[in-house]
Amino acid sequence: MSVPAARVTETANVETPAPRVAPLPAREPPPQLSAREMSKRFGNLTALEDVSFLLKPGSVHALLGENGAGKSTLVKCIMGFYKADRGRVLVGDSEVHVSSPKHARALGIGMVYQHFTLVENMTVAENLVLARAQLPAILDWKAEHAAIDAFMDRMPFRISPRRGVRQLAAGEKQKLEILKQLYLDSRIIILDEPTSVLTPQEADDVLGMLRGMARAGAISVAMITHKFREVQAFADEVTVLRRGKLAGRGKASELSTRELAEMMVGSEPPRASLTRSARTERAPARLELIDLHAEDDIGLPVLEGVTLQVSPGEIVGIAGVSGNGQDELVEVLAGQRTATRGELRVGGARYTPVRAETRRERVRLLPEAPLRNACVAQMSVAENMAFRDFDVKPYCKGGWLLDKRRMQQRARAAIAEYGIKTPSAHTAIGALSGGNVQRAVLARELSEDAAVLIAANPCFGLDFAAVSEIHTRLVRAREAGAAVLLVSADLDEIFALSDRILVMSEGRIVHECTAADANMSEIGQHMAGHAQAVDVSGVKSID
Amino acid sequence: MQDAAVNLGIWGVPLAILGGALRVSAPFLFVSLGECITEKSGRVNLGLEGTLVMGAMAGYGASYWSGSPWVGVAAAGAVGGLFGALHGWLCGRPRVNDIAVGIALMLFGIGLAFFLGKPLIQPTAPRLPAIPFGNFSDIPQVRSALQVNALFLCGILLAPCLRWALARTRWGLILRTVGESAEAARAMGYDVNRVRFWATAAGGVLAGIGGSFLSLFYPGSWNEGLSSGQGLMAVALVIFARWDPVRCLYASLLFGGATALGPALQSVGITSGYYLFNAAPYALTLLIMVLSSSAHRTSVAQPAELIAAR
Amino acid sequence: MTAGAPVAADLDRSPSRHPLLAPRALAERALGGLEALLPTLGAILVSLALFGAFVGAAGHSPLAVYAEMYRGAFGTWFSVQNSLLRAAPLMLTGLCTALPARLGLIVIGGEGALVMGGLAAAAAAIPLQGSPPALVIAGMMLASMLVGALWVGAAGALRVLRGVNETISSLLLAYIGIALFNHLVEGPLRDPASLNKPSTLPIGDANLLPNLPGLDVHWGLAFGVIACIAAHVAMEHSVFGFAARMVGGNPRAARLSGLHVARLVILTCALGGAAAGLAGMVEVAAIHGKANASLLAGYGYAGILVAFLAGHNALAILPVAVLLGGIGASGGLLQRTFGLPDAAVNVLQGILFVVLLGSQTYRGRLRLRRS
Repeated sequence: MSVPAARVTETANVETPAPRVAPLPAREPPPQLSAREMSKRFGNLTALEDVSFLLKPGSVHALLGENGAGKSTLVKCIMGFYKADRGRVLVGDSEVHVSSPKHARALGIGMVYQHFTLVENMTVAENLVLARAQLPAILDWKAEHAAIDAFMDRMPFRISPRRGVRQLAAGEKQKLEILKQLYLDSRIIILDEPTSVLTPQEADDVLGMLRGMARAGAISVAMITHKFREVQAFADEVTVLRRGKLAGRGKASELSTRELAEMMVGSEPPRASLTRSARTERAPARLELIDLHAEDDIGLPVLEGVTLQVSPGEIVGIAGVSGNGQDELVEVLAGQRTATRGELRVGGARYTPVRAETRRERVRLLPEAPLRNACVAQMSVAENMAFRDFDVKPYCKGGWLLDKRRMQQRARAAIAEYGIKTPSAHTAIGALSGGNVQRAVLARELSEDAAVLIAANPCFGLDFAAVSEIHTRLVRAREAGAAVLLVSADLDEIFALSDRILVMSEGRIVHECTAADANMSEIGQHMAGHAQAVDVSGVKSID
Repeated sequence: MQDAAVNLGIWGVPLAILGGALRVSAPFLFVSLGECITEKSGRVNLGLEGTLVMGAMAGYGASYWSGSPWVGVAAAGAVGGLFGALHGWLCGRPRVNDIAVGIALMLFGIGLAFFLGKPLIQPTAPRLPAIPFGNFSDIPQVRSALQVNALFLCGILLAPCLRWALARTRWGLILRTVGESAEAARAMGYDVNRVRFWATAAGGVLAGIGGSFLSLFYPGSWNEGLSSGQGLMAVALVIFARWDPVRCLYASLLFGGATALGPALQSVGITSGYYLFNAAPYALTLLIMVLSSSAHRTSVAQPAELIAAR
Repeated sequence: MTAGAPVAADLDRSPSRHPLLAPRALAERALGGLEALLPTLGAILVSLALFGAFVGAAGHSPLAVYAEMYRGAFGTWFSVQNSLLRAAPLMLTGLCTALPARLGLIVIGGEGALVMGGLAAAAAAIPLQGSPPALVIAGMMLASMLVGALWVGAAGALRVLRGVNETISSLLLAYIGIALFNHLVEGPLRDPASLNKPSTLPIGDANLLPNLPGLDVHWGLAFGVIACIAAHVAMEHSVFGFAARMVGGNPRAARLSGLHVARLVILTCALGGAAAGLAGMVEVAAIHGKANASLLAGYGYAGILVAFLAGHNALAILPVAVLLGGIGASGGLLQRTFGLPDAAVNVLQGILFVVLLGSQTYRGRLRLRRS
């Protein structure tokens, strides 16, 4: 998401690693890929309108845009996931009608998704072999391992074919996804936000490798992103989409951050400036986590002694690559997971996230993916808004009977105040758009002044207006004296909001600094963790 | 067993349990191998109890009409396959819950088998042959215990074959992919629903064959009390066997032994707690489920799609 | 199609709807209710057609069979009362599946709770002999509900405390319950006077559950109706039901709201089990007068179908239980008139169940309203 411009230019030219030229055998360049006047509608919504896109052989082409701008729709139409309503796709000079991702693969077009499509419970070799179009009826694993070893030798980096995917770090998994495309001999590789799960260093490593291979004429790369830094550091050309339409295109080296930002967000008003009071002396901590330990779903340790404090009137941001224990940390705070060791304290006293204590201490939580974490899709908006107080007066009479009318009244007021777009207060909340669901949760969690507010990727997948509103409200809660803990995979968000920044890696807090002293490069290194090469997950068999 | 039984004293109990295990575990084995295939694809078929009873009825009927027990086995497999296919087809449709369909097919299968099997209660159908492995011994109990059915031997061979096939064949790899990550399988162009359909149908074939064992070998006749939960226990057994066919074999023998406990004790004259001993396999299943599950973690061996569906 | 796309972003693309005027919103809700009902009605019709083809293949005229079934179920005042007699335990065992289902659990062990509840009722009557009948009946009700609650509550507890699949465990517990029942009825609790059919001691004629005023139907029907209405009020209008629906809709959200999910699950399962246990007491105290193998009539299993047909809605259980009670009541007549095996009723129920679940795929896809 958009960043204060100054910070971008500051970091963009810091570390562009020397291109690693892939030692691939010289061969004819990949074919040109072009999509012309593509349009796609979903019901009433026009996702894509007359967008053309040209990927030159041996180039890296960035597709830039906000969430919902149509980038994913465009590439999914090219890949045969969706059938475009209008438009043509050409590979080389000939028009193709891609009917499925399998067909695209046969044409030499491969896609790397934002979320891994690797099978966790299988080995690297099994994952690679599986992706092949033609499999023999009986597999000779000895021969396959030898062939993959030989293939890895020609690649800029290698992963042992015998390792289980579960044991790979996020960066290695992303590399394996790319290796898979190369193994399949894809000449055109499309990446959907390939760096969202990587540290800045890992991202540079992977993108640098891709650019090197493109320069060598081995592949062409199209990459969906919303990070200006990556466009400017690694792309040759850029196409910008906004609300399903082409908003601009050009050479990445000739466009400034400002111009890119204008194309991307258009005439949207700039983000409301986050005015905030200067921090005074830190008050005693209101929220304390002391030596918190927890295990993941298969019993491996994911939190290994998290200790931190948040004082009233400050926002503490936890940065980190997703999958380093942040989800589990928030789950422990939310009462969705039990800690195996350690304790929580609020206002100096031991705290367990059960109803009575949550209400007494006014602890509130904005989780990521609110429909999955904080709402019941088939219950109404009014009922969802009553989750915190349906069992107390005035919403409950005589200690057991619900007052549904009062719930409706309150919901109608909140709908107006928070601008929630819904047909009515008794519409099922699952029918609302993601932004409106998050607004409803916001209305519920902030309805009375929170003393402790925990927010986890609160803006993930939301549009510009919703993001801006949520940020404003987080800062407002801080101004009102709440202790705010913000867990986010989006470094820009962390930088924009936090008073203090902590970095989480492999279940531990590995770095702490004030916002004033924060340095993106240093934080990135801590996100990567110093012990990354060492056995991450621990090979432990569980029954 | 009637001819000049040697008094073995208390040693008769383990021997009877061994013999019982060899006789009784075949239905467990076939149903659990079938469920193993189905669950590896990421779907649960709780209806195998109904498939088992249908297989028993169809196998008995076909054996009676044709005069060949092996025709009966084939018919049982075919009927089981149809039931599996019905489950696979229904669950392939959006918003259809596989657990609920399993329950429905369990009740439907049992009801249909009782309805169609009404005329089969009286007649006697040819039974499957047994191979006498106990001829070396003069003790009749040993001879009787080691009467092993040919179909059971097929099942014993099937378990390692299945393990090999899951690891080293194309369809094994595809099956596991679909069960581990439907999304990944779809991205690679595999039709997840089709794979699951065939996996469920194959599971049904094996469960049907398991049913024919009940009516054609042990106890060896068709009646309405033929199966009481073996199909369901076999489903639970797959969890205990951690989705490994060879461990399914061991677990089946264990369950067979537990089922044989009641009759074994009865054979040496302990009859007082007959019904309680009959509950032993259920209690054992429950105990094993309690011990092998956890509220906070899931087994690494469990196909990931089974977790996602919960 | 979902590969790679974050859920939230997908939802964000769904078009937002415009506010509606209140009367129209009401009309929409009514239409919505009808839409929810249509697949179920359709499933019943399709099942009847399939079963008609089935009996047709068996050489009987489907129309004649259905006419006979109607006669056996609702054709005369006598048959209506007979159907209601069968509906009473079905209402209670239906709750045993429907209540936990609202929390997302599929419990199918109602038969175990019914059998154990019936046995507990019969056993409780023994030491209470000589007390006023009201006291004996209250004691039997209490005992049956406690034991039933224990039986199904155990499945719920195993689920939340140990992660054991409640569908399998509840059925295993039912098998164990039945074995225990047989053991006790043929052993320690056997009435030495019961020769051919081992039974417990009779509860005594004075302690039999009386009939409802003016009807030939016992008070068990009232228990069933009251239980369903109470369950409806609890689920839709009480704090407990609200919390239960939160757990059923999304356990993560329920935990985030600080609810004690494990306690709610165990409590709800126990309530369902208490209902099924009460069904056992009704059978013992109103029909058999003692506990014996006649209790194993399959009401527990039929209750699963009742709950699913009713969409786990407590009020809808009432008509569904009467319908299935009628089908069950007509079984005997089918046997006598057409020589159809008594399992014919089970076949019809099985077809109904399978078709109903298949019809779920059309739920929410029928559009009556114009967009």
